[in-house]
Formats: sequence, C-alpha cells, structure tokens
Amino acid sequence: MRRFSRREFLGGAVVVGATGVLAACAPTQAPTQPGAQAKPLGVDTIKIGAMGALSGAHADYGRQINMGLELAKEEINANGGILGSMVETRMLDEELKPDVGVRNTRQLVQDWGAHFLVGVDSSGVAMAIGPILPELDRVFIFTHAATHRLTEELVYDKKIKHIFRISVPVYQDAIVAAYVFRDKLPQARRFATIGADYEYGRAVWALFREYMKRFRPEAEFVAEAWAPFLTTDFSSHIAAVMAANPDVIVSTPWAGEAVTLLRQAVQLGVFDKIQAWWQAMGGSVDVLEGIKGEVQANAFKGKLWATARYIHNYPDTPENRAFVEKFQKRWARFPNYSAETTYSAVYAIKAAVEKARSLDTSKVIAALEGLSLKTPAGDRYIRPEDHQAVYSVPAGRVVMDPKYPIPIVGADLVILKPEDYYRKPPFEPIKF
Amino acid sequence: MAVKKPTLRNRLGLILGLGAALAILLVPPLLGRYPTYLATTILMLAIFSLGFNLLFGYTGLLSFGHAAFYALGAYVCAKVLLAYPSIILGLLAGVVAAGVGALIIGFLSVRHTRIYFSMLTLAFGMMVHSIIWKWREVTGGDDGLVGIIRPNLDLGFLEINLNRPENFYYFTAVILLASIFLMQRIVNSPFGLVLQAIRDSETRAAFCGIPVRRYRLAAFVISGLYAGLAGSFVAPLERAVTPVYAHWTFSAEPVLATLLGGINSFLGPVVGAFLFRLLKEVVVRYTEYWQLALGIIVVILVLGFRGGVVSVVAGWVGPWLRRDEPRFTQKIAAEPAGQEAAR
Amino acid sequence: MTVENLIFQGLVGLSLAMYLWLVSAGLTLAFGVLGVINFAHGSLYMVGAYLAYTLYGRLGLDFGVAVILSVLTVGLLGAVMERLLFRPMYRLDTAFQLILTFGLVLIFSDLVKLIWGGLFVIPPVPAIFQGAVPVLGRSFPVYNIFVIVAGIVVAAVMGLVLERTWWGKTVRAAAADREMAASLGLNIYRVFVLVFAFAAMLAALGGAFSIPVRVVDPGTGTALIVQAFIITVIGGLGNLRGAFVGSLLVGVLSAYGTLLFPVFELFIIYLLMAAVLLIKPEGLFGR
Repeated sequence: MRRFSRREFLGGAVVVGATGVLAACAPTQAPTQPGAQAKPLGVDTIKIGAMGALSGAHADYGRQINMGLELAKEEINANGGILGSMVETRMLDEELKPDVGVRNTRQLVQDWGAHFLVGVDSSGVAMAIGPILPELDRVFIFTHAATHRLTEELVYDKKIKHIFRISVPVYQDAIVAAYVFRDKLPQARRFATIGADYEYGRAVWALFREYMKRFRPEAEFVAEAWAPFLTTDFSSHIAAVMAANPDVIVSTPWAGEAVTLLRQAVQLGVFDKIQAWWQAMGGSVDVLEGIKGEVQANAFKGKLWATARYIHNYPDTPENRAFVEKFQKRWARFPNYSAETTYSAVYAIKAAVEKARSLDTSKVIAALEGLSLKTPAGDRYIRPEDHQAVYSVPAGRVVMDPKYPIPIVGADLVILKPEDYYRKPPFEPIKF
Repeated sequence: MAVKKPTLRNRLGLILGLGAALAILLVPPLLGRYPTYLATTILMLAIFSLGFNLLFGYTGLLSFGHAAFYALGAYVCAKVLLAYPSIILGLLAGVVAAGVGALIIGFLSVRHTRIYFSMLTLAFGMMVHSIIWKWREVTGGDDGLVGIIRPNLDLGFLEINLNRPENFYYFTAVILLASIFLMQRIVNSPFGLVLQAIRDSETRAAFCGIPVRRYRLAAFVISGLYAGLAGSFVAPLERAVTPVYAHWTFSAEPVLATLLGGINSFLGPVVGAFLFRLLKEVVVRYTEYWQLALGIIVVILVLGFRGGVVSVVAGWVGPWLRRDEPRFTQKIAAEPAGQEAAR
Repeated sequence: MTVENLIFQGLVGLSLAMYLWLVSAGLTLAFGVLGVINFAHGSLYMVGAYLAYTLYGRLGLDFGVAVILSVLTVGLLGAVMERLLFRPMYRLDTAFQLILTFGLVLIFSDLVKLIWGGLFVIPPVPAIFQGAVPVLGRSFPVYNIFVIVAGIVVAAVMGLVLERTWWGKTVRAAAADREMAASLGLNIYRVFVLVFAFAAMLAALGGAFSIPVRVVDPGTGTALIVQAFIITVIGGLGNLRGAFVGSLLVGVLSAYGTLLFPVFELFIIYLLMAAVLLIKPEGLFGR
C-alpha cells in the first residue's frame, strides 16, 4: 500500500477546512416569518438579483443598471412594496464573461434566494444565462444585451419562456438608421461602416444593408472596417473607410470606444467630407458626456445622428419627467438607457406579480406575456411570441440644448412606430 | 512496497483523507443547490489545475495558453452533445480533441523554455481564441453555442440522471478522484521523476541521456488532456460555451489556483482550486473591487509564500514532518536573460 | 486603391506605431536589463494617462506640464515597484515574475476605477496642436504629427544615450552580464531601479500623449499589454532597436490591413509572433 505523504494529508486538511468555508455559502434564506399571513405573497421580501459590467472598460453601464435598480426599489418600498412585500436587491459584476454571468445567476437564485433577475450588458453573457433559466425556474428580464438571437432564437425557436427583454435589440441600431437616411438624406448613396467586430456589429451592418437596399435600390456599400473588442485607437479604421469617399458612416463601437472613435474622426476631418455619421448607441449618457466638448464646438457640424435604447429627453410625459428628476436627485447624473430599462424591468415585475398575485414562475410568465406598461420610455407592450418589449425610441441629431448640461439626441427627431422596425416572428436568420 | 508499521503520519493521513472524502460526499445533502454547483466548478478547476501543475510545478514550464485546450474540450463536447446525446462520447471527444491540440501546439512550444515558452503558448492560445471567435458557422462566434443538453449517464447496467445537480456533482467528483489517482501514478513513476530532474537542471538531465524535449512534450500533452477533460464538463454543466474559455486571461485561473494551493505539493492545485473559487465567492459579496483583493493576495503569495497555502500549513504543523525535496520555488535563475534566445 | 490613399494610410499607421513604440520600448528595456517581463507595463501607460487626464483635463494645467508631472510620478511609482516588489524576485524563476506582475495588473485596474470611476471623457487637444494639415487632398491632424515626431525623438535620444554616454555603457554592461558588471564595482541595483523607473516613464509618456485623442478606462492596461508583448517578441526580447522596427511593422501593417483586407485578423499577428519565436527567437532584427 502506498503511504500518504505529508503533503497529501495536509492537502486533505485544507480541503476539509475549505469545505467548512463552503458551508458558510449555504442558503441563508430565513424561514417564512409568522407575520407573513398579512402579506398575500407569503414572503416579507421579494428578492431581485441584478447583474451588469462593474469592472473594466464598460463599468459605467453596470453602475447605471444598479442606479435604476436601486431607485425603483426605494420608490416601491416607500409606497408599500409589492402587495405588501418589500423589495430587496443584490447586484453582481458580470465582468462581460459568460461563465461569470452563469455562476452569478446560480448564486443569486440558489444561494441568495432571488425571485427575479434583471440586467446583463453583454450579449454573450445573456446567451449563456438563458438556457439555464428553466432549470432554476426563474424569470430573467434582460435590460441591455442586444443580440436578436436572445429573443428570436432562445425564446421564439427554443421556447425558453423564462427569458424576457425590456430593451430594444439591434433593430434599433440598424433598421431605424435605414429609415432615418431614407427620410432625411434622400441624396445619400454611398454607405460605409466602422463596425464592432463581433456578432452585434456584424448583425447591425447586415440588417442596415438589407433595409437600406430595400428603401433605396441604388444604394452602394462602399467600405467596411472592423474593430475588435477593446480597440484603443480607431484612426486606421477611419482613414480606411474615408478612402472610399462615403456619404454616410454607420458606426457600432460603443461606450468609451465610441468616444475615442468620434474624437479621432473629428481630428481626421471626417465631418468636412461626409453627409452623416450614424452612431448606434451614441445617445448613451456616458458617450454624450464624453463628446460634450465637440458638440459645443460644433465639431460634428450637425451631422452626428444617434439613438439609444432610451433617451432621457423623450418622451415629454409626466412619467419620464418625474423619473429623470428623481434620478438626478438621487444620483446627480442623467439616467442612461440601462438605468431606465432596469428601472422599468422592476416595475414590470411589480405589475406582473400584482396581476398574478403569486410568485410562481409560470404564473408570472403568463402575466408578463402581453403586459402593457407605462414606463419613462413610453408605453411598453411585451410580445407574447418572443417576450420582447415593444416601444419606440426616436433617433435624431446630437445637439446642445440650453435646458441640459450635456448634449442630447434632440434635433430632427425621427419618431417611428415600433411595428415599422421591429422584426416579427417567424424570424428569418440574419445572413452576414 | 513492503508493509510498514503504521506511523503517526500514516494514521493522520488516513483520517484526513477519509475526512476529505466524507466532506466531498456531504456537500449536496448538507449544503444545498448553490454550494453543490459551486463545488462542481471547483472540482472542474481542480482537474484543470492538477494537469496544469504537471507542466508548471513538476516540469517548470509556465503556460499562458492552456485555456485553448480547456476551450477545445468545451466546444468539441458541446458539438457532440448537440448532435448525439451521450455524455461519455462528449467527454471522450472533448479530451481527444484537446489532446490532439496539445500535441500540435506542444510539439512547437516545447522547443523553448522560460519566458519564450510562455509567450509561445500565449500566441498559440490566442490563435485558437480568434479561430473560435471568427468561425461562427461552427462555433457560434462570440455568442457561442447554446441549447446544449445534459444527457443521462448510461453505464449499460445503470442509468444516472445527470440533470439532478447532485448526481452531476458526484459524477465530476468521481472523475476528479480518478484524475488524482492517475496523476499520483504519473508523478511518482520514473517518468514523473525525470520531469522533475529536467526542471531542476535541464543540462544535467540531457547529459544523462534523457530526451528532454520529448519528456516535456509528454508532460504538455498530459496537462492538455486534463485541461480538455475539465473543459468538457462545461458544456453539459452550463449548457452553453463561449470563446472566453480560450482567452489568455482565462489561462490565468489555473495559474492562480495552483499558486494559491502550492506548486510543490501534489494536491496543492486541488486545494488551490477550492481556495481560489471560495475566495472570490466571499470577496464579491463585500466589494465590487474584487480584482484589487485578488491582486493583493497574488502579490503577497508570490513575495512571501511561494509554496502556497499547503506549505504554510506544513510550516505550522512543524518540522517533525520535514522531508526535504527540491523546490522549484527556490530555484535560482542562474542563466542570464537572453541566453535562451542565443541558443 | 489610389497611391494617395496608400500613403495616407501609412501615415496613420505611423502614428499608431509611435504609441506602440513608447509602450514596448520600456517593456523590452526592462527585460533586457532586469530580465523581467512585466505584465503590468500596460497598466503604467494607463496610470500615466489617468494622471495626465486629471492634471490637464481637470485641473487645467498646461499640457506640457501635465505630461511631465505624470511621467515623473509614474517614474517614481516604477522605482517604488522595483525596490519593493521586483528586487526580491530576481533570483527566482521568471514564472513568478510573470505571476507577480499579473497580480499588479488586477490591482491597477481596480485602483484606477476606485480613484477615477468608469467615465470616458477626453479633454480637448492642446491649442498649439489643434487643426490639421492637408496631405494629398485629405487632412492629417497636427497632433498626430506631433506624436510621430515625439516618438522618433525619444528613439533617437535613447539610441544616442545608450551608444554614446557613460550611462548607456553602464546599462549595456548590466544587460550583457550583470554578475560581471557587479564584480567590476558597478552598483547593479541602482542601475536596475533607474532603468525600471525610466521604462515606466516611457509607458506613462505614451499614456499621457494619448489623453487628448483616446479614452482611457480601467481595461486599457490589459488591452495594450498583449500588443506590446507581440511587438517585443517580434523585435526580439530585450532588443530596443527591434522594438522600434517591430512597432513600425505592427502599426503600419495593421493600418494597411484595415484598408486592404477588412477581414484582417489579429490571428495573423499572433501567427507572426509564434513564427518569429519558433524560427528566429532572437527577433526579426536580432543580431
């Protein structure tokens, strides 16, 4: 028989010790309190777990998710909670890594005891979380991840009914752009892209070409330059695309990359040559804050078009005004779209639970399907077929407005009906 | 080996070994679902790190490209499970694919050692990453492969439902124990001793007539197989695979786990896998600045406790257990920088 | 594709190359002399950029003053790092240095988030470098010209110092054979700390120069370091001239890649790196 060496049994000792620590991670769910009879749902607190990018280059998006989440929680709890149950939240860093997102989801549900889940910035993370939701039996309302595959493939084709999305996917980035240039730039012929070199950027360019060609058969797609994730300098991409003399550039890098890209485009004199620049998520608050100097100096010459999944200056409704005011008071910043979508996701949960009068997942799913909701971004309707929330965000030119300290998507607003630009089931795969 | 009279050390080892086995067994019934899941990922990281340390601790080669083999295992297993519902076939295919990948990349990489080896493995690993990222017809691009099923484990006479998390966990545990047993045999075989001899002095080993490069390649392939085995579990466990598993930053996980546990101890990587996951698990509950905490721990470990936790504990338990071994951590880099390149 | 476009793209690639050069110069210098490969070298670029952002963008100091102050601060930081963290490591296997510096990458990434948050703001281009000059019918930014000139000046000065001065001789002696240099009475540790601080300053210079045209964020360090690794490997680890030519090669090649082959892959650059390591590990431009 082999002897155990010293190291082996020391190893064993540490394993035993570590298991003790593991035990500390066991569920901390308290048994139902005696006073719970007064609460129709039978629980003191409804736990909403959230996730977003809190580290690395895109950390501001996760922070905005957290701000929207906290604001909704505070409001709901100040007004008596959801059917008498208070809302409790926990936010984790998805690190834009699918494995981390999956681990977080399990931790939130199986360890912390989350009843509902919201958030997620990255498409890859969302696509990895989706398939495990039936096993966990929890509803996840995605509030930023934009890949069409989440709702088209996972919900509509694969029937994973636990997935919902409150934010508009790539339809906004691509198809709205085609409408904008159809209506606003009748003379533009030559289109080019500076694309984010992953699923999102490729899907936007493919969809845009499809619709632009349909609207304007003589349209030409003259150049494309693809920038991988975490590109720090775009001047070679800009110069390459400009060599083809485009009328319009469609650009999909987002967050800090968009700010770098726009600054370098100004530097390279792009806005003297082109008719328009489409910045897909240029209406994001972090991007608007980043390009404030250029907008003030009119460096874009009024040619910068942008949209987002929500813009804080639209619509001019009591709900939106109240939301922006409360948000600014609470966080001293303007709400980004990921804040509004997360805030609205929490209210969608509230509405569905109140309608179902239950926390049972299948009942909540049924209540969410076909739900109509007044949100800061306007009226949202959740399509039963693909669980995609339908609402409309305008696109427009980025300008300064005396009412706001940062630029807004505020001029020449193009307001479309969602049925014009939302893809409808049955879905044809996007070819690119 | 002749029967020896039981010593204090032996008995203690037996008790602790049994204790560890019992602890592994009791995780699902005592702790519930999330800890069971967490423990499953720990077991996977343990397999990954165990193989990794054959190359790092025993052979003295630090690879920054092992994520590629983990990803190869994950993707090939996923493709098999998407086409044909057999977990055995999936795992087998994943391991074989990783082995083939390790043979090719290893064949090229073991021409170098030290920093050049690390850089080569980094380059090859990132090449695999960009293939996975780009070849979207096959790999699903950056969104990855989803909708993978977790079939039952069919042993012919017995069918085990792996969709019960505790069954999947026990299945992983059995595989880990088998991997540990196998690795134990490997490192204590003449082959394992030769690897350590090469690590301690390549020149001396070469003078003894040892085909150094071939031994290194063998160690590389074995560690690649372990990485592929661990990666293959990802597909059925998470039901999705994405390119992040091939990125060089993911290669850092077994490095940190191994370092944490101890590179000089056989079970150090296993212990380290536990500690690494738990550490992060605990830290993220208190702060969003978990990278800072992890970084500080790494720096402290490298500067003060290169033997890892196992060695520290060994130090406490006292010198009555002392058995001197050559230690990689104390190796003095006598060769001046750049000599490698000149060869 | 017209010749004008090709020349213009080359110019753009040249300015890309200069940032790469400033980062990889320090990386390769530190390796050549100290034998240390520093994963956290990209993080020093990032810290330099953040400091310049605060001094120039927030506090409104003159751009030149802001650059000098942030470079000096990072140099000091480098000296402290060498003294406290690297000095105990020289006798260890390079593997541990790699891991240590990887730990530093994590620390720096979270520290800058802690201090500066995750916002992306680019201060304006300094007044004297504003505008563009017409080049072949297109406009090329003055600031890019400044960066190209600055990068070349740094390369020339470093070359002169290393070849012609007592200091350069000392550094080269330490790089060639540290034991011999030490036994000849050279205070090798003083050389190490100064070289490492200088390497850190080069990275910070690149970072500070980047601040009017590039966003800096907590992921910048990681994004840059692999590129810098590729360049130092192509040029030959420890080979300063190789790093300069390697930067030009990677910068200009990737600019042309974007123009001529839009499907151009990072894959090719990694392939180049692996091929150099396998066929000519002393670098494409090694002696």
